[in-house]
Amino acid sequence: MRAGLYVHVPFCPRKCGYCDFYSLVPDSSMTGPLVDALVAELNQVADAAAIHVETIFVGGGTPTSLPCEDLMRLMRTLGDIAGRDRVVEFTVEANPGTLDIQRAEILRSHGVTRVSIGAQSFDADELERLDRIHRPDQIALSAEIVRQTGFEHFSLDLIFGIPGQTPVSWQRSLESAIGLGPDHLACYGLTYEPGTPLYERLRRGEVTAADEDLEASLYEQGIAYLARVGFEQYEISNFARPGARCLHNLLYWQNQPTVGVGPSAVSYVAGTRRRNVPDWAEYVRRVRAELSPVSESETLGERARAGETAMLMLRLVEGIDRGRFRTATGFDPHELFGGVIEQHVATGLLEKDGERIALTTRGRLVADRVMADFLLPESKEGG
Amino acid sequence: MFDRTLIRNFSIIAHIDHGKSTLADRILVATNAVAQRDMRAQFLDDMDLEREMGITIKANRATVFREFEGREYMLNLIDTPGHVDFHYEVSRAMAACEGVLLLVDASQGVQAQTVANAYLAIEAGLEIIPVINKIDLPTARPEDVALELEHVVGIPADQAVFTSAKTGVGLPELFKAIIERVPPPSGDVDAPLQALVYDAKPDVHRGVICHVRVREGRLNRGDRILLMAARRTYQVGEIGKFCPRPRMVDEIAAGEVGYIVAGIKTLHDVNIGDTITLDEPRADQALPGYKPPQRMVFCDFYPGPMTEAPELRSALEKLWLNDSSFSFDPVHSDALSFGFRCGFLGLLHMKIIQERLERESDIDVVQTAPTVNYEILLKSGQVVTIDSPSDLPDGSTVEEIREPVIAASLIVPADCIGAIMKIADDRRGQYQRTEYLSPERVMLTYRFPLAETIFDFYDRLKAATRGYGTMDYEFVGYEAGRLVKLDILVNGTPVDALSIIVHRDKAERRGRALIRRLRTEIERHLFDVPLQAAIGNRVIARETIKALRKNVTAKCYGGDVTRKRKLLEKQKEGKRRMKMVGQVTIPQEAFMAVLDPGDD
Repeated sequence: MRAGLYVHVPFCPRKCGYCDFYSLVPDSSMTGPLVDALVAELNQVADAAAIHVETIFVGGGTPTSLPCEDLMRLMRTLGDIAGRDRVVEFTVEANPGTLDIQRAEILRSHGVTRVSIGAQSFDADELERLDRIHRPDQIALSAEIVRQTGFEHFSLDLIFGIPGQTPVSWQRSLESAIGLGPDHLACYGLTYEPGTPLYERLRRGEVTAADEDLEASLYEQGIAYLARVGFEQYEISNFARPGARCLHNLLYWQNQPTVGVGPSAVSYVAGTRRRNVPDWAEYVRRVRAELSPVSESETLGERARAGETAMLMLRLVEGIDRGRFRTATGFDPHELFGGVIEQHVATGLLEKDGERIALTTRGRLVADRVMADFLLPESKEGG
Repeated sequence: MFDRTLIRNFSIIAHIDHGKSTLADRILVATNAVAQRDMRAQFLDDMDLEREMGITIKANRATVFREFEGREYMLNLIDTPGHVDFHYEVSRAMAACEGVLLLVDASQGVQAQTVANAYLAIEAGLEIIPVINKIDLPTARPEDVALELEHVVGIPADQAVFTSAKTGVGLPELFKAIIERVPPPSGDVDAPLQALVYDAKPDVHRGVICHVRVREGRLNRGDRILLMAARRTYQVGEIGKFCPRPRMVDEIAAGEVGYIVAGIKTLHDVNIGDTITLDEPRADQALPGYKPPQRMVFCDFYPGPMTEAPELRSALEKLWLNDSSFSFDPVHSDALSFGFRCGFLGLLHMKIIQERLERESDIDVVQTAPTVNYEILLKSGQVVTIDSPSDLPDGSTVEEIREPVIAASLIVPADCIGAIMKIADDRRGQYQRTEYLSPERVMLTYRFPLAETIFDFYDRLKAATRGYGTMDYEFVGYEAGRLVKLDILVNGTPVDALSIIVHRDKAERRGRALIRRLRTEIERHLFDVPLQAAIGNRVIARETIKALRKNVTAKCYGGDVTRKRKLLEKQKEGKRRMKMVGQVTIPQEAFMAVLDPGDD
């Protein structure tokens, strides 16, 4: 079975206010045992003959904040897997201020093909409002290191809808990002996730969220600008030059098998989604004791799984590919969702031809509403 | 048998918060009916809700004994509710008495309900003892308050008794006044039995417990009795008195109050106000009954998200057994499906019923905006009564719409008259007269359409009078008005539960206000949602809820899939709980928007 491999490094020099991924600020005694456990779990995956790794994505957290020695051990293991399985894409996330020449060389020498940098904004005030540790000029420095080291692909993340952000400052961030020469860009609307410090600040009235109309127009502004400079939108938040789409992430949106390694990482294999325990110490304890690190698991019935697959595929600009959907779920999308599709085609939120059902540009702005109609309740499962 | 001349039956009537419950407690302690250490605050209010809301809802009672000048007197205290909605229950309690203590707060002075209650007592021909209470307060001005009372109600100031129910000051004087001034009951213990049912309470084990006042004759355990209006006979299994705990006796006779248990199964089987006589010999005629409760305010209850219609019905039935003064009938709304149209004595009554429903039966209730009922004179000459605007017959058949009108007494500081007149003007009030209680305080009398007072009126009165203003009202009758039905269309579809009947001159303002409120209550849809207010086919106001601009999850990678999917499922589920009208989902809050009076 071909699968994507995700490795979660749950450590950051500082926790950002908006971030709801599992991560913490480690002390120096934590990184070694964590990497030992990651390596142990990876070796189990590598030994599972049934899995053929197609892509690797190391995220977090901030993988590049690991001490060089720990980073090296992790990369050595991953590099072996990449070599053995002839991995087509090997991405590592990095944050400005954590990527130095030495670490970039460690990545490159172990086969990393793609670096994704969390730039977020090129406005100093906006970065501060997001609790980022870096300054705008450090983004350029990181990009320079990436370019000199010679990775094949280079992506930047940006955020829009930051409190205080204007169309002018957003445009400056977009242009600055493009100026650094990436071949891929992710632009995320700022989300106030319950449980994050930023969400609490919003609730207490200490920050004001961008209004819906502004957020929508910032989104449209980004799409239009990126199209002009040769970046195709291929997913709700993702843009790439031709040939530079993130293959690993495409697996998620096609609801294909993926294996997650590390605390809180999620695997999706043979229709079952499993989540490792989101606690680094417990994770390390279980792996050392050769116990399963899985703490949650979910297997949907076939109709619910088809609904979920539709929800994910609709994120793609190409939408639901009829043949691919049938292969993945066993259902024909028109038979399963005929009424819903017609309804949204009639109101101009969806478009379809013989082989594809996709959100229109207008539909993409209200994607959640449309996708919700594709979710099928478990209760209707037969048996 | 206890000497009839040593019996005194009385109740306490007062404006809310003037200390009625504290005085009742004090009387129980002073007569050793309840030991001080057993005294929960406000012993007589036995429902949690009453204690919480600080108001007495159900009349309670106690029989206590007090020695005076060498003789022991039986004092029957009948407690009464103190809110404007409960005139009905106050008059019930008064029918069991010969006298009342008219309790007035020594610093707040005469209030609207003081006056209303005093008039009820005068009408009932009862002896009135003015009691000026809370004289321990530093702000007390008992002499002034006694003069106010003399001024407004005509009871000589020198008849007032000054007390502090809290400290017990003035209690001996109060007992003296009760014993000397409240007349002993008349009635012949040897005449055929006539006993008035003045209250009834259900008891799970024993059936209905009837609270009775014997007017003539005697009632014994084992007697076969006849409920004269219900025309049913029962065997009396138990007779007792509340002291204040129930205490069984063998007999109660003319002049006394007590309770009976007679195998009456439910409150449906007994009418408050019915007369009990013996099956043999029977009394010639029944005692004058009470007025039936008059329901003035109506709204619909629909089952909330977690409740099914049959659950709501059984909860209403259960509550009705406890309080038959509200009514409920099945109703179907195009927008809200199946529910119940309920009638109440007033707004507070409505609120209490809704809270008791949710609390006592653990169900969710969705309530529509309260409305009043209307009399419709048809061109055919026929008169029909409707209690929902959506029941209004077709305009071409209607000759006249008549609305309920109340006479309201507002007691306010004299320097607030201007502000009150402005409010009254906004609410179509008709000025009647002004009476000065003192140079600083004045009683204004107005007639109002009841519908103009059911939202926000009391709050505005309080706000305009620094909290000092009080109001009481009584129903006067139905009067024809220039009334029109205002229809609300959501996305082109009329929504029955949102229509209102409104005065022609205020229709535009109300329509605009309503639609403005709806615009904030209904969330953005995937398309523009036009909102219109119309009279007949003429649109008088319109607004548009602009289509949703952006609603999209920014990040959805491997670790996010389950959570994001569940989030969308939850959103979808939430929608299912709202009411769909055409393609538009309308949240429950929107149905209360009808109440917005559009005042500036």
